[in-house]
Amino acid sequence: SSSSSSKNRNAILVSNRQKGNPLLKHIRNVRWDFADVVCDYLLGQNSCALYLSLRYHLLHPDYLYYRIRELQKNFKLRVVLCHVDVEDVVKPLLEVTKTALLHDCTLFCGWSLEECARYLETIKVYENKPADLIQGHMDTDYLSRLNHALTTIRHVNKTDVVTLGSTFGSLSSIMDASMEDLARCPGIGERKVKRLYDTFHEPFKRIV
Amino acid sequence: MVLKFHQQIVGDLVDDPNGGLVILSSGLSLPKLLSSFLSLHDSSRGSLLLLHSPHHSSSLKSLLLSFSPDLPLSDITADLPYTHRLSLYSSGRILLVSPRILIVDLLTNKAPASLISGLIFLSTHSLSESSTESFIVRILKSFKKDASVYAFSDKPHAMVSGFAKTERIMKSLFIKKLHLWPRFQVNVSDELERDPPEVIDIRVPMSKYMVGIQGAIVEVMDACLKEMRKTNKVDVEDLTVENGLFKSFDEIVRRQLDPIWHTLGKKTKQLVSDLKTLRKLLDYLVRYDAVSFLKYLDTLRVSESFRSVWIFAESSYKIFDYAKKRVYRFGRSDGKINAKTKIKSSKKRKLKEDDDNGEEAISSSSTTSMNTSVLEEVLEESPKWKVLRDVLEEIEEERQKQALSTELLFDGEEDNNGIVLVACKDERSCMQLEDCISNTPQKVMRDEWEKYLLSKVELRGVQTPQKKKPKAPKGYGILDGVIPVITAQNTEASSACKQEHEALMAAASKIKNLAKKQSDATVDTEPQVGSSRQGKGRAKVKKKKVPANVQQSGDGDNCNNTKPYIDNQSKISDLENEVEKNGINPAIQNGVLEKHVMRVNAAKDGDSKQLPLVYFHALESDRPILDILKPSVIIVYHPDMTFVREIEVYKAENPAKQVKVYFLFYEDSTEVRKFEASIRRENGAFESLIRQKSMMMIPVDQDGFCLSSSFSLEPQASSSQNSITRKAGGRKEVEKEMQVIVDMREFMSSLPNVLHQKGMRIIPVTLEVGDYILSPLICVERKSIQDLFMSFTSGRLYHQVETMVRYYRIPVLLIEFSQDKSFSFQSVSDIGDDVTPNNIISKLSLLVLHFPRLRIIWSRGLHATAEIFASLKANQDEPDEARAIRVGVPSEEGIIENDVRAENYNTSAVEFLRRLPGVTDSNYRAMMDGCKSLAELALLPVDRLAELMGGRKAAQTLRDFLDAKYPTLL
Repeated sequence: SSSSSSKNRNAILVSNRQKGNPLLKHIRNVRWDFADVVCDYLLGQNSCALYLSLRYHLLHPDYLYYRIRELQKNFKLRVVLCHVDVEDVVKPLLEVTKTALLHDCTLFCGWSLEECARYLETIKVYENKPADLIQGHMDTDYLSRLNHALTTIRHVNKTDVVTLGSTFGSLSSIMDASMEDLARCPGIGERKVKRLYDTFHEPFKRIV
Repeated sequence: MVLKFHQQIVGDLVDDPNGGLVILSSGLSLPKLLSSFLSLHDSSRGSLLLLHSPHHSSSLKSLLLSFSPDLPLSDITADLPYTHRLSLYSSGRILLVSPRILIVDLLTNKAPASLISGLIFLSTHSLSESSTESFIVRILKSFKKDASVYAFSDKPHAMVSGFAKTERIMKSLFIKKLHLWPRFQVNVSDELERDPPEVIDIRVPMSKYMVGIQGAIVEVMDACLKEMRKTNKVDVEDLTVENGLFKSFDEIVRRQLDPIWHTLGKKTKQLVSDLKTLRKLLDYLVRYDAVSFLKYLDTLRVSESFRSVWIFAESSYKIFDYAKKRVYRFGRSDGKINAKTKIKSSKKRKLKEDDDNGEEAISSSSTTSMNTSVLEEVLEESPKWKVLRDVLEEIEEERQKQALSTELLFDGEEDNNGIVLVACKDERSCMQLEDCISNTPQKVMRDEWEKYLLSKVELRGVQTPQKKKPKAPKGYGILDGVIPVITAQNTEASSACKQEHEALMAAASKIKNLAKKQSDATVDTEPQVGSSRQGKGRAKVKKKKVPANVQQSGDGDNCNNTKPYIDNQSKISDLENEVEKNGINPAIQNGVLEKHVMRVNAAKDGDSKQLPLVYFHALESDRPILDILKPSVIIVYHPDMTFVREIEVYKAENPAKQVKVYFLFYEDSTEVRKFEASIRRENGAFESLIRQKSMMMIPVDQDGFCLSSSFSLEPQASSSQNSITRKAGGRKEVEKEMQVIVDMREFMSSLPNVLHQKGMRIIPVTLEVGDYILSPLICVERKSIQDLFMSFTSGRLYHQVETMVRYYRIPVLLIEFSQDKSFSFQSVSDIGDDVTPNNIISKLSLLVLHFPRLRIIWSRGLHATAEIFASLKANQDEPDEARAIRVGVPSEEGIIENDVRAENYNTSAVEFLRRLPGVTDSNYRAMMDGCKSLAELALLPVDRLAELMGGRKAAQTLRDFLDAKYPTLL
């Protein structure tokens, strides 16, 4: 049984209730097994998910609440995976949002079974992944870093970055360029010139 | 002198104390109209508030003051202390204030509504029902029913985009009266056409290659449009090349595609952006010189080649090819590619001399060391340059003649300093034209060419030590990993490109060496460049001399077609009338006959004729240049409808003045089509507005009569809302007034307005953590879709969630979709087969894995958000203002910030700084303290940086990044 439990640790455990859910055939990047679990999908030791189709919710508005109550306090991350499969979403989604939020569940919306399945897969795959992906690190090559910095300035696009780079030769010369020099660059109009120049020359802190 | 129709407009407006909306043709001098309207302001009635966007405030103020210096104008800015603001609001003056400041002041009672007599909105076309401006009007009207609201717009075409836009804007501003003042209105046209300026319309033929490029671009555009039509997603009627000439085209397309954006394939999305690129190219073709145009194409190729569809279209090869041929020609001596270029340069020159038609190209050749390839410079000048010079010379000649004849009579009667005004689109063209006039066009082209070449070798020059090497070093052949030109010949292509590249490099290194030598020795070689020829094309029209450009294109085979059309004494209004009459026909042509065009051989002596004083004005800069300079001769270098109107107004205001206007059009160009289309488009907009006006349903209470219940105004956006209102009349839910604490910065968005419409009390404060505080437990960070993606990339969202989780029991991320866009992240096809780190699904999943307490709200739009907020708050306590403000404020600093950060910081500079390598969350504050601006930072030595950044390694990383050489293009 120890081998089966280690096997299970790398798989999503799917409740028997979910048998016949067409979503299952879209889970391809992670193994999954049916098991006797209280949630719909057991994603990790502390995380689980409930699946809800909005269409089903319209027929059984209380279903979600009872399912959440069943979970008790056994999980840190409790996901309500909502399949948006109706046209008029505002009212049902409001109800689902309220129920999930006030009962300590995190709501995810998917607009297709593929998308819903991908959330399940990702949460499983990323179970132990550090957060640096979303902490603002990015490609480290020169051009992407340069793009990353210069495109913070509104209306400056990648083509402009190429123009600026090839005209001035280096970032420090761009930052030190005069308004006139900036204006000479093809494609850089009055507004962009002013934005660029202000960003570089206006003090960080305005005098109050 | 004040225009009569301006007086009439003002009179109409003043008649109705409720106010009104004025839409007038662009160029009919809205600022002047405004200033004469403002001068009627009666300070005893209370202060009049003029709303503006923050970055326009100072220019608007000085503009108004230049028309009527006595206006009691004051600015209200965020850094004025409370008491000072209050005294300004009660001063009865005219106050310029940004909507964001005003709404906060109204909500916090810093602006006493009773002391405000009215509001004025300027760019009404950019407003909507949910914008802050309508929020302001609603609040003000609820306090003071008889406040007047005046709204203006001089962009009629923007007032008709979208269904019943004007009517809806009027409703949201509580305006009942609509005043339409098109250029074709009788009072307007009578006044402007009574004594119109003298107009000389000069048609400049484009060079053969320009025509070729223009044709090719239009072809590619057409191909792109055809592709779009195939998708069956867009209304075919709007997809014409003519519409494609305007910026608003993107809007038309986007409005149709936005709701289904996620279902579109990559290709369709790319087509939309390609059309935008192509439109720019058409514009740049007539605006930029040949070298700059080529350079722009090069940058496009680098930045877009992987994604673009258009670059692979058949005709786009021509664009690149012709653009290059305008600048240089490349051939190999083995003659496989281009036999013509085998001709030695001297021979070629002779050929041209035989034609002797004022050919402007300088040709010389530089041969690479291997003697297998020839790089021949063509450097085609913009045809208008020469015409401009000719016109200027003629003006001066005439002036001297006149001076001779009138000197005796009116001595010193000269009404101005004789300045000739040349109006171009942008600052860049101004500078270049100035260069052209003060130097020679040839020199300008050569400078551009040298800059172009040098920008290509920049990097290489650093790597290979700068020895004087006339032979091209081997290293120059590498293509730098960038995709080469897309040529039709496939097998030959890569090797040809390589050689071409080598030749360019060789030429560049030559220039570099030359420059070096010149700096060593005295400059002596200069004249070589300019002296080759100064051909003067001249033509006569009747007895009058009118310049004409006789331009010969590269191969000299079609010089007979390129005659200028000159129309003497046509009227601007004719242009308009004819455009109207003839519909799609290129109307201007009708009245234009090819009159007595004579070609005169190059003048032998005409090298340096006297030129009048010239002032170059960029239309972009929006200064009232006509009133400042009072010119009597105006050359419109880049035709622009608005400016034409301004000239008309200027002439009408100064009836005694002789005004002569030269129009420089490229013949048969999209420039002309665009000009004509812009007039047609405006007229069409007015016709539609007139129709709308006749059918408008204006409720009696549109002056804000039944404002007591804020629910009466709630737009019934969706059917689901109806059910709620049906149930309870919408009233029960607001038995106790709900409160929401809102961060000041959120007043840029429309959500506070919609929340208020829902009946909630809005409390604006500066929040360190979160955007909306719904209850002591619930804190919401709101992200629009675009924000969401961006703040994931920058890492900002992670940190925002981190602090929310730290301070609130229920931290909420609100993902707010836009009502008119699709409600989903991506189409199924975009999801892909694997879990990829860049997908939004992955980022969101990772976020909740790290913050399992984070709650997410998915909202269809503003109104859905408001309902969700209301239902979440239902069983919660009201939030505490004082506590919310304190949350997250660093305690060691002790002081609580009272002002909006955006006003105290140069936010884009701070954001920029934080994205530089080596800069971290822990050191960027110290860096901002230690140096004033980014420009200063760029110059700091490593040691100083190390001090500021608290580490040598980080400092070195930053310094290296700042000084890294940008890789070359080819």
